[in-house]
Amino acid sequence: MILKAPRPAPPAARPAMRPDRSEARAGWLLTAPALATILFIALFPLGWTLWESLHEHDLRMPWLGRPFVGVGNYVTILQDARFWQSLGHTALFTVISVAVELTLGLALALAMNQAFRGRGVVRAAVLVPWAIPTVVAALLWRFIFDSQAGIANVVLSNVGLLQHPLVWFVRASTAWVPVILADVWKTTPFVALLLLAGLQSIDQELYEAASTDGASAWWQLTRITIPLLKPAILVALIFRTLDAFRVFDLIYVMTGGGPGTSTEPVALYTFNALLQNLEFGYGAALSVIIFIVTFGLAMLYMRGLGVDLGDSRGGGGPRR
Amino acid sequence: MRILVLAALLLVATSCRSGQPDDRRIVVTFSGSALGAEGELLARHVARFEQANPGIHVRIQRTPDDATQRHQLFVQWLNARAGEPDILQLDVVWTPEFAAAGWLLALDRWKPDRGDFFPSTIAANTWAGSQFAVPWFMDVGMLYWRTDLMRAAPATMDELAANARRARSGGVPYGIVWQSARYEGLVTSFLEFLGAFGGRIVADDGRVVVDSPEGIRALAFMRDLITSGAAPTDILTWHEEESRFAFQNGAAAMMRNWPYAVTLLKQPKDSRVAGKFAVAPMPGAAGGAPTATLGGSALAINAFTAHPDAAWKVVEFLTAPEQMLDRSRLSGYPPRPALYDDPRLAEILPIPITLARSIVERAVPRPATPIYSQLSELLQIDLHRALSGQVPPDRALHDAARAMNALVERTRIRELVAGRGTRDAR
Repeated sequence: MILKAPRPAPPAARPAMRPDRSEARAGWLLTAPALATILFIALFPLGWTLWESLHEHDLRMPWLGRPFVGVGNYVTILQDARFWQSLGHTALFTVISVAVELTLGLALALAMNQAFRGRGVVRAAVLVPWAIPTVVAALLWRFIFDSQAGIANVVLSNVGLLQHPLVWFVRASTAWVPVILADVWKTTPFVALLLLAGLQSIDQELYEAASTDGASAWWQLTRITIPLLKPAILVALIFRTLDAFRVFDLIYVMTGGGPGTSTEPVALYTFNALLQNLEFGYGAALSVIIFIVTFGLAMLYMRGLGVDLGDSRGGGGPRR
Repeated sequence: MRILVLAALLLVATSCRSGQPDDRRIVVTFSGSALGAEGELLARHVARFEQANPGIHVRIQRTPDDATQRHQLFVQWLNARAGEPDILQLDVVWTPEFAAAGWLLALDRWKPDRGDFFPSTIAANTWAGSQFAVPWFMDVGMLYWRTDLMRAAPATMDELAANARRARSGGVPYGIVWQSARYEGLVTSFLEFLGAFGGRIVADDGRVVVDSPEGIRALAFMRDLITSGAAPTDILTWHEEESRFAFQNGAAAMMRNWPYAVTLLKQPKDSRVAGKFAVAPMPGAAGGAPTATLGGSALAINAFTAHPDAAWKVVEFLTAPEQMLDRSRLSGYPPRPALYDDPRLAEILPIPITLARSIVERAVPRPATPIYSQLSELLQIDLHRALSGQVPPDRALHDAARAMNALVERTRIRELVAGRGTRDAR
């Protein structure tokens, strides 16, 4: 968008006015501060991280110096079982939580799109979980699933689903339950609102025409709503996938990656390497890998869903 | 308008005061725990010091009490070669790391009185033959037991297991609890079981030997306590405080914890076990000896300080017998053996002084190596995997030892130890 700025208005009534060079230069000059800012806050740190990742640099071991090791860190990472496990955990978390959030979010959006009394209040209220800071939400859910004082055990035992109170966070299989529930609870509203915006941009006449032709509600949903909602779904999917892939605070607070490292996502592993162990080179290499994967995921979505974000009006989400 | 003038005058007045500190005193910065009772005591000691040393002013800089956060801060400052803070309160396991990095002044030039301290505390603060920090107070792991549930403290690990099971069948929810979440506390607890069975984490030559038969026996014993129900699975998420709450509410027959809990458990207002508990050393087992993990703090001097001698004076003062005795009121025990003959200490300590001494003398430091924290993190993961039943104890320890030894090789720690002193290494 920025690059378009210096271009003059489309040739209109007065064709004599050709864009001359000084005008283009002024345009560049005017956008220079913005370009420099982007360069400084986005590209420079990225480049620096990339450079750092090519060194062995451990803040706690100055006697090793900071030797250039080329792709050494990347080779170590690719041979590191803990890295692959954490990647697997991240994928598991992303797929399950995003799938559930999208399904629930769509249902919620369809419900909120109906005309009913108090719709405004409901729409606002739905956003409350999204507005709560993640760390607070995580603490809340950890407490709900506490083995001693948590309400989850009490409710499940009363219903008869549990014989003994369960210690949720000591087994990998059960530790994921509160984590994913917390994420679903917190971000479904966001998905729902994105989809709601998409729903509202669909022309009502289509439904009227379909009804006149005797189309069932299911037919309308699958043939009209969902295809036309595709741009909005894509935006929600991209946002949620990228967010879920970088999940950190929720798991840091709830399980700390345990038991063992069986709920540790890539971001937490990177945090451990970078900030806990101060292995700057190795941690930087991990960061670069996360960057590449998330970037690749975003590309894949755009291709796979065959939607050009730039032209979609329905999405309503911010463009990046 | 008048208010403005007044404000301006005030500003000038205050800036004069701070800009020209009524004297030319040397300012030395102390960085460590300075909150609550600890902060008050420290301020009192500092005031006493300044009275005796009019030429030096001690500025207290608060840092987070959380060990991990403080460690991160210190590393960032020192890595940037900041001259302040001049004095650092170090956790007992950080000294070798900071010393090897060249961030601490060797104390040899002031000839510290090593002989007046427990050897374990000196060993923990020594690197490459030089002492780098002065022990300030010690923490030791010990066994809390319910006097109303058993006649005597267990003398062996087998007795401990038997007592725990008996208490369980007598209706107490938990037999024994310790710290078993995946954090440093897990290693401190493990070290006591390990020592009891005669194992070690790191051998004298710097190799990791935690997967010795003794080590496997120790971890299997801990795992058995959990699987047999003598210890609850809940402890896999517990730190010090969760264990204390369980014991304090009368839910546990025995607990492994640090000395701080004694005073809290004695409060009849909050504690259901006030008057119904005692402490003892953690028991031993065949092939080993009763072991208490050494914790606590030491005071060190920043290598980049502008005032080494003034800083040393402060360190010397804070770790002198009088101040140390005074500090025992908080928690932790003084690292000077001579103080245990002082009747005043007997009055201050909340447990019998002979008992305190017998536990303190069994204190074992964690491996004194610059890469301790990384080694510990690797060990924590595999200990936690074994205790949560993901892998058998022997495989967990083999995995841990392999990863830890790989780190030892990669960081060339053994060359560093065998080779030159830290100065040349930089």
